[in-house]
Amino acid sequence: MNAVLAIIKKEFRRFFGDARLLLTTIFMPGLILYVVYSALGLVFENIVAETSTPTAIVVNMPSVLEEDIKSVVEVREEELSPAEAKAMIAEGELGLYIVFPENFDDLTAAEGQNAPNVEIYYNSSSSASSVGYSAVLALLDRYEQSLANVFNVNAGGGLYDLAPSGSASGMVLSMVVPMVLIMLLLSGCVAVVLESIAGEKERGTIATLLVTPVKRSYLAVGKILSLSVIGILSGLSSFLGLIFSLPNLLGGSGVEFDLSVYGPADYISLFAVVLSTVLVLVSLLAIISAYARSTKEANGLIAPVMILAVICSVVSMTVSAPPLWLFFIPVLNSALCISAVMAGALAVGPVIAAVCVNLVCAALLAVALGAMFNSERIMFNKA
Amino acid sequence: MNDNVILSVDGLSKTFRLPLKQQKLEGGNKVKLAVDNISFTANRGEIFGLLGPNGAGKTTTLRMLATLIKPDSGDAVIDGVSVVRDPSGVRGRIGFLTSELKLEDFFTPNYLFDFFSGLHGVPEDVRDSRKRALFARFGIDKFAEVKLGNLSTGMKQKVSIVVSVVHDPDFIIFDEPTNGLDVLTAKTVTDYLSELRAEGKSIILSTHIFSLAEKLCDRVGVIIDGRLVALDSLAALTKGRPLEDVFFELYAEAKGGVS
Repeated sequence: MNAVLAIIKKEFRRFFGDARLLLTTIFMPGLILYVVYSALGLVFENIVAETSTPTAIVVNMPSVLEEDIKSVVEVREEELSPAEAKAMIAEGELGLYIVFPENFDDLTAAEGQNAPNVEIYYNSSSSASSVGYSAVLALLDRYEQSLANVFNVNAGGGLYDLAPSGSASGMVLSMVVPMVLIMLLLSGCVAVVLESIAGEKERGTIATLLVTPVKRSYLAVGKILSLSVIGILSGLSSFLGLIFSLPNLLGGSGVEFDLSVYGPADYISLFAVVLSTVLVLVSLLAIISAYARSTKEANGLIAPVMILAVICSVVSMTVSAPPLWLFFIPVLNSALCISAVMAGALAVGPVIAAVCVNLVCAALLAVALGAMFNSERIMFNKA
Repeated sequence: MNDNVILSVDGLSKTFRLPLKQQKLEGGNKVKLAVDNISFTANRGEIFGLLGPNGAGKTTTLRMLATLIKPDSGDAVIDGVSVVRDPSGVRGRIGFLTSELKLEDFFTPNYLFDFFSGLHGVPEDVRDSRKRALFARFGIDKFAEVKLGNLSTGMKQKVSIVVSVVHDPDFIIFDEPTNGLDVLTAKTVTDYLSELRAEGKSIILSTHIFSLAEKLCDRVGVIIDGRLVALDSLAALTKGRPLEDVFFELYAEAKGGVS
């Protein structure tokens, strides 16, 4: 066991003693994510702000609708010919040109006649104009329905949406987080594992370890454990970057971002799942790295793992009520668990199943890695 | 087994699989015989030299002795431990130096010495006194905290030698230890080998530099094309002639001419 500790300490010293490696693997991912997502949020917010008050010129404004229309668009009191108004819309100087028939109220009240036509001129290439168009259209639809009112739905003014507070952000997170988190964990692991195993093999430094009396299985376990810790730190950095940038990113979308809906059980589950996932990913990447003859070759060989991780994340986004057997597939089970935790639908059974499956999987892969370290054909195959 | 014998090699063979295109060139042979049924013994307290041209199978033989690769057939027993049955036991008893085993450029000699001592289970007090002595012996003490990547080739080789003997092994395998070194550093290395012998250590040394073998070796084995073509004490083999001349004769006998 001392040997495992010695290997772990050496890996840590190698990693934490190298300021550049530390910067590129731990600090940069979180920082970049935070900056990029916050900047994106800022851009979205600007778009939303820009489109908040579309302008409109209304001809023959019906008195019953005047108040409603003024609440969604800024009505300009200008006398323009239809041609002038249309030209202004095309140039983006005006949002909408709405033409009601004269005596619109009387026409709608009278039955058995041709339905009156309201004309709304708009510009779909201008976001302000299209937002205004949709708003006015929805408003007129509602008015039309109220004229021929047979029954109402949810008209009582009470609270009908019974989702607990924070659910809206939970839904967003359950879609975004599994994908982003797994890809971030993977990319964090890739950087360190390839360097530490394929790199050491390429440079001939791993052979020096192989002539010491240390058991090769201990070497495998020491490598996997230490690299997993580094992988988790890298993933954690990215995760924090994501979490801190989400309020900025969602700022313009109107989704209230509230992390307080998650309790200790959620965080513990999340941590257990992430930990077991990283062990699987690191073991898998370690095996690929040990098989590859160089870091370059290892980089090519990991492409299928990347694709599988993407598939797992996408599946977790699309499956709403996953059957239990899905939790027995490593990595996919992690994505499903993360998704469930984020949606506030944590179930203990699947989480425990997923963590156990991942741990067993990582242990088997570690045994395989030890066997590979014992194989001269794998360890000494030259390019 | 004779108590004086520390290494007994018995019928060691090793083949390597050839690439497909090479198989065609070699008339359908799928494998190349790198080491062909080699047997010899080395005695305690002596330097045994394994001589031969590049590609003769010297390094392959030493790698089998160091348990980095497994023999296809045959066995070697080092100090009573079989390389086939107890490779881990062998690794704890031997020191192995070869250009193929590299040290990480990122670390300092001081750290590497401690790290490998730890892997060999050397107690800390023993480690520290051994480190002081070895570092002083090779002049590494002045560079103890300089990263390996910033050291000269000669200093790197000295660190490699020191790291290969952190556990004070009785049996040491040196594969071409003076390759690529200047005469001064090479002399430090050969002097150290003589000192180790004087301490009673047993050494097996591979080289294609005959002057080095003449200076150091008590007994020699000559390998050509994977086969041991001569095995004797240096004096009996050369009978006063230059070793190089003896080697050319052996080579001509084995290959039918020197080309």
